[in-house]
Amino acid sequence: MGEATLTSAPAAPPQEDSTTPSGLPWWANPRVGLLVVIVALVILFSALRPSFLNVDLTLVPMQADLSVFAIVGLAQLAVLSLGHMNLAVPRMAAVSAFAAGLTYDRLHAPLVVGLAVALVVGALIGALAGTIITTTGVNSFVVTLALDFGLLGLVSLLYAWATDGVAFAVHPAGMDALRFDTMNNYCAGPVCGPPVPLVVPIALVTVVAVGVLFRRSRVGREMLMTGSSLRAARLSGIPVTRRIIQAHALSGLLCGLAGFLLAINNGAFSATIGDQFLLPSFLAPVLGGTLLAGGAVSVLGTVLGATLTSVIQKGLNLLQFQLDQLQILIGVVLLLALSLDRVRHVLAERRGVRR
Amino acid sequence: MNFRQLRSGALVAVTVASLALAAGCSKNTTASGNDATSALTADQVKIALVPGGPHPYFQPWKAAGQQAKQEFGLGDVTFNETSGWDQTKQNDVLKSLAAQGYNAFGIFGVSPDNINSTFQDLTRQGFQVASIASCPAGTTDDASFCLATDVEAAAYKAAKAAIAAMGGQGNLVHLTGNKVDSNTQRRMDGVQKAVDETNGKVKLVQTITDIDIDLQTAQRSVADLLAARGTDIQGIVNTAYNPAVASAAAVKQSGLPIKVVAIDDDPTILAGIKDGSVAATVAQNPVGQATVGSYALMKLAEGCTMTTPGVTIDSGSFVVSSDNVDSYDQERQAETTKLRQDFDDKYLSCS
Repeated sequence: MGEATLTSAPAAPPQEDSTTPSGLPWWANPRVGLLVVIVALVILFSALRPSFLNVDLTLVPMQADLSVFAIVGLAQLAVLSLGHMNLAVPRMAAVSAFAAGLTYDRLHAPLVVGLAVALVVGALIGALAGTIITTTGVNSFVVTLALDFGLLGLVSLLYAWATDGVAFAVHPAGMDALRFDTMNNYCAGPVCGPPVPLVVPIALVTVVAVGVLFRRSRVGREMLMTGSSLRAARLSGIPVTRRIIQAHALSGLLCGLAGFLLAINNGAFSATIGDQFLLPSFLAPVLGGTLLAGGAVSVLGTVLGATLTSVIQKGLNLLQFQLDQLQILIGVVLLLALSLDRVRHVLAERRGVRR
Repeated sequence: MNFRQLRSGALVAVTVASLALAAGCSKNTTASGNDATSALTADQVKIALVPGGPHPYFQPWKAAGQQAKQEFGLGDVTFNETSGWDQTKQNDVLKSLAAQGYNAFGIFGVSPDNINSTFQDLTRQGFQVASIASCPAGTTDDASFCLATDVEAAAYKAAKAAIAAMGGQGNLVHLTGNKVDSNTQRRMDGVQKAVDETNGKVKLVQTITDIDIDLQTAQRSVADLLAARGTDIQGIVNTAYNPAVASAAAVKQSGLPIKVVAIDDDPTILAGIKDGSVAATVAQNPVGQATVGSYALMKLAEGCTMTTPGVTIDSGSFVVSSDNVDSYDQERQAETTKLRQDFDDKYLSCS
């Protein structure tokens, strides 16, 4: 079982939105709505606080954060395609980041080797979750919840075993460049790149690859069909067991990538990597129009969903809201997002379109 | 275009792009920082005090920060506790504050193990950074200084107080916070050291970690502890706030003759000392940390330098029992005055 299909294609400019079901007007498309809200918020926040447009202190860090949270969203999206959930996103990221840290610490491996290790470990744990789900028939919610608890303990034990404290004090060559540099630091003659952190292209390639997987590849389409109707998928000869395991492996792999990138952004491979991933992992895809029931995903929507949450977070930070106000606002956004999902679901069903 | 064509097209595009990037590209090493490195006057210094998240311990920082603003004539002092115990969020909060014009930071790092990365990030952009109330794990500190309670010493004092209250023998339990935090490891070392000094007369029978999340978690854990072995323990030493409150209340309610030593000095715990349900507590010095921290940050922004960059300074810990419950604060204020004097005399070098 492999991720061959996933890694095969860093490809193609982001597709124009073809997932809009025929029959729904363009404004009912959640992606358009999101884009409008994002633009409106950016204008609002920049008007209230011009420092929102500060390149070094606002825009660059925001892009780096966004890269991580878009991938966290995609990790959840991979299993939402099946109508499954992955509650172990935080700890899959933590274990992967541990594996990468250990590789650097013990083997003094180059940066890219640690990344590969993180991806493989993530994918293996994901595949394990998928295998347990398919062989026992237990709900993915329960399996991944149990797995998260198990891994939580494991992460703590692993760090206690491998380090004195709870983090690796390693800095493989290139880590600081990946963390601090933007393309603006690299110039060809007088022309320098845009102020885009170096982690952004990694995220971009991933987003395109996942997009291509679900839109163009057979494996991706079959995952969606499995999510849409397990029975129908099985009757049409789709190897549903294998697709379920692959989707979970993909989810694990993306967790591994997110954990790695967060470790780079934070500057350390530590036990707390991934702690805050769970809620954002649902928020981004659901905001973007991915159905919790499975069978329909929106990769572009997930990126926009992650962007919206980043913009809100940053804007409210700059406006110096107090903690309680911040939490209320984030709660309201969540509730709205989930209600919108329900409305869209009903709308889609009423039109007889099962996406 | 089918998938195969798309794939090869994309591969070519990516290859061309990377080649273009690799060829003829040179790294521009000019630091893209701001100009805060030049000396400022006090009214240009804007200090942000940023704890790791909301916690009763940090509340005195608010008033102390405002007091410092008045006293030193600072541009502004703000207090921001929205980091929510998440290092990523804290980094974000710090950058947002920097974007707002704050140029000196007193930080309680969420994660002592990677807070140095955050410090580097801020100092390389020309900001003044102090580690307050918690030091980075390990031996290096990339902030200008760390002004914090020496947690190992404080835990040692607390355990000594518990052992004294127990009459120098018996079974002791240690309740503390997040195990994957290097400060917790240091606290455990401090307690162990005090226990070792009794030559086996006092046994550390259990160390319960990860119960400082909230009061409910601590209460549940303490209830389980008392139910399981309430009759064969003589002392409980707390090195975290929530377990301290929970164990004082639970022991009082159960009527067991267990001596409880708490941490910090909020009204609940002081009331416990007065009514006898808490044998002693170890108070820290949050006001001193905020006041002296702000003072030193201002001096650094004005052009002073640290004689030893990254030095660790103990802000003091004070054993409070029924004997000195009404007078310990004077002792603490004296320590704060002394700390500020020490900065002028020893730690800072001003031309």
